[in-house]
Amino acid sequence: MADPHFGLERHDPEGFSLTAAVDSAPPDEPSLPVGEWLRKNLFSSPFNTVLTLVFTVVALAGLRGLLNFAFSEERNWDAVRVNLRLLFTQAYPEDQYIRVWVSVGIVVALSGLSLGLWARLSGVPVARVAMWSMTAGGLIALGVVLREPSAVSGPDGDPMRDAAGEVIRQSFGAAMGDRIWWWLAAAVLFGVGAGLWRGFEDERRRHTYVPTIPLVFGSLGVVVATLWLYRWGHYAFTGNEFVYEPDRTAALSTKLPWTVMWLLLMASWAAGRQGRGTPAEGRLKVLVNLAWLLSPFILFWVVLRDPAIDWAHVWSTDLPMAAGFVIGGGAVLYGLTRPGIGEVGRVIAVGLLAFAGFNWVAAFAGWYPMLQKARFGFLLLALAALLAPNFTGERAQRLRLVWGWAGAMTVVQYLVTMANTESTLNTPTSEFLGGFSVTLFVAVFTLIFSFPLGVLLALGRTSKLPIFRVLSTAYIEAMRGIPLITVLFFFANMLNLFLPQNMELGSVAAVTVGFSLFAAAYLAENVRGGLQAVGRSQYEASDAVGLTTVQRTMFIVLPQGLRVSIPPLVGQVISTFKETSLLAVIGIFDFLFLANRAIPSQSEFLGVKREGLLFVSIVYWIFAFSMSKYSQRLERRLGVGER
Amino acid sequence: MGRPIIAAAVLAAVALTAAACAGDEGEEQAGGDGAPVETTAAPVDTVEAVGGGGLLGAVQSRGVLNCGVSGVAVAFSETRPDGSQKGFDADYCRVVAAAVLGNAGAVNFVPLTAAERFVAVQTGEVDLLMRNSTHTQSRDTDVGMDFGPVTYYDGQQLMARTADGYSAASTVADLDGAVVCANAGTTTEKNIADAAADAGVTITLNTFQDLDIVTQNFIDGACDVLTTDGSGLVGRRNTMQPDDQEWVIFPAAPISKEPLGPMYIQNDSAFADAVNWAVYATITADEKGITQANVDAMAANPPDAETARLLGGEGELQSAMGLDPDAFFQAIKQVGNYNDIWERHLVPVGLVRAGSANASWLDGGLIYAPPAR
Repeated sequence: MADPHFGLERHDPEGFSLTAAVDSAPPDEPSLPVGEWLRKNLFSSPFNTVLTLVFTVVALAGLRGLLNFAFSEERNWDAVRVNLRLLFTQAYPEDQYIRVWVSVGIVVALSGLSLGLWARLSGVPVARVAMWSMTAGGLIALGVVLREPSAVSGPDGDPMRDAAGEVIRQSFGAAMGDRIWWWLAAAVLFGVGAGLWRGFEDERRRHTYVPTIPLVFGSLGVVVATLWLYRWGHYAFTGNEFVYEPDRTAALSTKLPWTVMWLLLMASWAAGRQGRGTPAEGRLKVLVNLAWLLSPFILFWVVLRDPAIDWAHVWSTDLPMAAGFVIGGGAVLYGLTRPGIGEVGRVIAVGLLAFAGFNWVAAFAGWYPMLQKARFGFLLLALAALLAPNFTGERAQRLRLVWGWAGAMTVVQYLVTMANTESTLNTPTSEFLGGFSVTLFVAVFTLIFSFPLGVLLALGRTSKLPIFRVLSTAYIEAMRGIPLITVLFFFANMLNLFLPQNMELGSVAAVTVGFSLFAAAYLAENVRGGLQAVGRSQYEASDAVGLTTVQRTMFIVLPQGLRVSIPPLVGQVISTFKETSLLAVIGIFDFLFLANRAIPSQSEFLGVKREGLLFVSIVYWIFAFSMSKYSQRLERRLGVGER
Repeated sequence: MGRPIIAAAVLAAVALTAAACAGDEGEEQAGGDGAPVETTAAPVDTVEAVGGGGLLGAVQSRGVLNCGVSGVAVAFSETRPDGSQKGFDADYCRVVAAAVLGNAGAVNFVPLTAAERFVAVQTGEVDLLMRNSTHTQSRDTDVGMDFGPVTYYDGQQLMARTADGYSAASTVADLDGAVVCANAGTTTEKNIADAAADAGVTITLNTFQDLDIVTQNFIDGACDVLTTDGSGLVGRRNTMQPDDQEWVIFPAAPISKEPLGPMYIQNDSAFADAVNWAVYATITADEKGITQANVDAMAANPPDAETARLLGGEGELQSAMGLDPDAFFQAIKQVGNYNDIWERHLVPVGLVRAGSANASWLDGGLIYAPPAR
């Protein structure tokens, strides 16, 4: 390393000190010589020595078993490679694939912007990077040695067998020679690590930081680069052959799109970074948050579904109704925020709520027809009217509620219209989602629905009003007493019997509702834990400054309570994400079902199941592990457990 | 400043949640009859309307046939790497679509589990079931289904290693003391137990979650004998038999009868006729040597009056059924006759038609269609 002063050192544009960075904890005492460290940590007593040896053998045997399994000549990894597209998007039409890439692009761009806007410039100590690199190199070398020699393949390509039917394997030396590329990779990784370690003396090693962002972007770049060098999944069926098809459309060949995604990530990060510190930063953050909130709806309903808009219906029904709600509702809200309206405002709001509720009763009983969209509109108007007292005051303040209403209503009317419009996608099966996309759909929407519901249930359970408390407690305890799989079967098969006439939910949507209701009960308990951690004095102080109950809850109790609940909430998000694999049990073609049932029943891959299951586990692990890492970061940043 | 913005954000969040609820209801309608949910003018009982006898018309006005398949049945309805459906059953969905709608591609495949399949027909979610369902008395009567002509005569058989002394001539009586493996929760289990009791032999019956696990145990030697439907055994022997083992299937006469064919809602004759005669058309075409390859020539120059009628010529009977005159011509042109479909999907997995119950009646099999006149 010619110039040891690479990266950034104790400096950040915002004056943020990297010595106090989130990753500041030094790795375990790197100053000790290796022999000393080993003696102290692994062989400190005869008993510990035995433990170390036994568990080393167990770990090595486990690693060897895994490697022999994954790299065995019996494994048919083509089953996964050929089916990559099936596993992620199932039957999404090939000529519409650009929609999938646009969706991924939007998520990537939002991630980049968020990173740029929010993430602190942090760094990882050189010592740790060196350690990672050396560990990775060492592990690869270990794996190369541990894995049993490959089988000798006969003239027909199948492994040769001896008289007893055992596979004939290469000699150890020949096997090591064949794995020259792995050796090289191990040597390069180890060499880089060792070079970094040597290039810095002890103090500087721990206090020089490699900036995180270039490190992450660089690693992603390496992954993307391998797409250009290695044919991970470029195979397709033509007749009975696996054929490499270099002239496939760019949409299906993944290397170009992923390269664009990688560049997009960096560009949007840079854009977010530019926006930082400018006067518009606050507004930009609100915009990005709104975009995140809207993105699942827009992506799943508009971009991916490609609705066929019926303009006649839009002009005759949708547009007039949207305009009516925006303008009429706005006028009502403007009136309700008049200063000095007093109790009359509340009475009107409660009246609206009663009317909205009655519409739903009528829907279930089938008394009078009304567009579902209008029912939702009235319900939202009633909720907005309840918020009106917070906006009384001068004209600008009142208009804020009206504009907020107009914006929210426009978006809602637009999305509902889109969701109610037929899809133009030409898919062979009834669902345009399948595989990983259905897993993501259920997980994301479960999160979106269960979070507000869970918080409301937690508030209800800690409420002083007995009716709220009893109802919330009853709901939470009932849901927690039922196994999840029972809930799923119930919703998949029976939900439609309980819905109003002419309202029908498909199995994926029905199961999402079931998941959300179930997750909300658990989420409520997690949030309640946080709420109870908010001290008595906070309540008394907010009473003392004259806050209303709503204000106290919104601005004092919830922010503190939710902060404390972050670790269990993230745990819940991860488990919900993984529990979506239960969809396989009720026969929905999700990620797991495709690997476990659909691929093993393709005639070319009859019974080839283990490869798919290993692949699915790895993908689930990558997602769950990233979420877990992110939550640890969030925890440190918010100081949970310190304050 | 901060407070109203937060309040507005909460409002927006609530609004979106509500929008989401509203949206879900519509989403699933997309694939269906296209009537937007929100036009809640008057309550309509759709199920009754379907059961009332208008399914054929409903399918034709919709323009798409909703066909229930398994999606995980080798060579019968497999989910391909591009998400499409392929196989014997899937092609019979296409035959019906070609006959009813004139377009073999106008099929919306609905993968169904064994548990959901009948409910899906009763609620109108699918028009037709091509899902390896055995025609039984109880399903025909109790469950409220009607069955079309049998497209595949299956039956439970056994598979064992020749190294253990089994041959194609073995019978259930040779199983004394053997470990027999089957997948759990199906009639397979009961059939083999009954057959063993009848033959007076003692077997150890082990069941596993699914057939892949059963097969793996058989390969590993934990099971002496594997039993399931014959079609499944042949497919597995062809693709999964290790080099150092030789598997044999017996007895020649299966221990159970599993006639498989289309199923649909009961008491809808017009639709039942359309499905049945579409299937018969593929069988008649096979008998008369009308194949996908030569159907154009046959239609131009029919060798006999029945062929002419079947392909939409002089005296055709299709119009009276509510189909296009060339309905069966389209089915054979776009999908093929019985033998074409068999060769396309079942030959690659090693199922041989000649000499089996699925040979044409002219060759001593059971595949037979009533005359088209």
